[in-house]
Amino acid sequence: MQKSEIRVGGLGGQGVILCGMIIGKAASIFDGKHATLIQAFGPEARGSACSAQVTVADEAIGYPYVKNPDVLIVMSPDAYTQFAPQLSPGGMLLYESDLITLDETLPKGVRAFGVPATRFAEELGRRLVLNIVMTGFFAGVTGLLSFESVEKAVKSSVPKGTEDLNLRAFRKGYEYGREQAAVKN
Amino acid sequence: MTLEGFPQSLALRDGTLVTVRPLETADAKAVQAFYRSLPEEDRLYLKDDVTDAGWWQRFATLVASGEVVSLIGEREGKVVAEASLYRALRGWSTHVGELRISVARALRRDGLGTALARELVKIATRLGIDKIMIEVVENQAGARRMFRRLGFRQEAVLRGHVKDINGTKRNLVLASTDVSHIWDAMEALVADFSPSQE
Repeated sequence: MQKSEIRVGGLGGQGVILCGMIIGKAASIFDGKHATLIQAFGPEARGSACSAQVTVADEAIGYPYVKNPDVLIVMSPDAYTQFAPQLSPGGMLLYESDLITLDETLPKGVRAFGVPATRFAEELGRRLVLNIVMTGFFAGVTGLLSFESVEKAVKSSVPKGTEDLNLRAFRKGYEYGREQAAVKN
Repeated sequence: MTLEGFPQSLALRDGTLVTVRPLETADAKAVQAFYRSLPEEDRLYLKDDVTDAGWWQRFATLVASGEVVSLIGEREGKVVAEASLYRALRGWSTHVGELRISVARALRRDGLGTALARELVKIATRLGIDKIMIEVVENQAGARRMFRRLGFRQEAVLRGHVKDINGTKRNLVLASTDVSHIWDAMEALVADFSPSQE
């Protein structure tokens, strides 16, 4: 069975759970796969550690917890420190490059791709959409899900009136992700 | 700034088709001709003297810098409407935008002004603007009604602020709409609060 385990980590208020939810929704509703989502919050959600575990597979998933992710998306230094050592051998790290500096805790063989998602979001007009930039970056780098399915998942998950900016944030992250993947492959 | 989703074809209430698209430098003559075709009493309600030789150059510079986003309506190759969103790129009011809309007399009351205003409100929210202002002279009943329907509410009246064609002083009404609430829902969505903690 083809199965990918994904962990999204960051701070409360960065939209970590929404990022995980959109990936799961894109896989299960728009890409015809199976997906599970587990959420974890710190004692005080806003500003404290927060993470989502997403499993995507082409068959039903019996165990939804992610121990050693194949893909780790991190938006804060704490999330990087906490989760990077758990990455599976040959796994993929997608990180917010203006906030996180890679160090020796990163397991050998892990492929790392950085994106200045917060800066991109601010340039687009709202810092709030940094998680959508990260979602697009995930789709662009991994190619795990189709562009169309993730785009539909973004559009159907964000509040009315915010679709345009969110979709631009998604495309910005996606295109940057495609470029980065092409450079490193 | 590139605007997506244009040109748009718009069917007015009477069936007239109008093309709406972003203003381009090449539109200089057509836009100036449109403004010059407006009756003098209509031009009085415009903030700038659009018949002034230097107006287009000043306006085009603002559009190029991003301080103004301008849409035009065209019918049969002629400009029949111009609508602009003005915003400050620096300073304490970068979250505020101002709408200015002009429509040819023959096409008023057919929904063109409303459609242009709606498009500019959408563009404003995309640009991160939270509050949109308009300024209308108090006897512009049609314009005030249209903006009221779009959610604009009166904020202030400047007494005797505008002189009409006969030299009569008129009150200027400032109205606004707060579009930041659109983002409240997004903020709640990305808050990452645990449902068990609410």
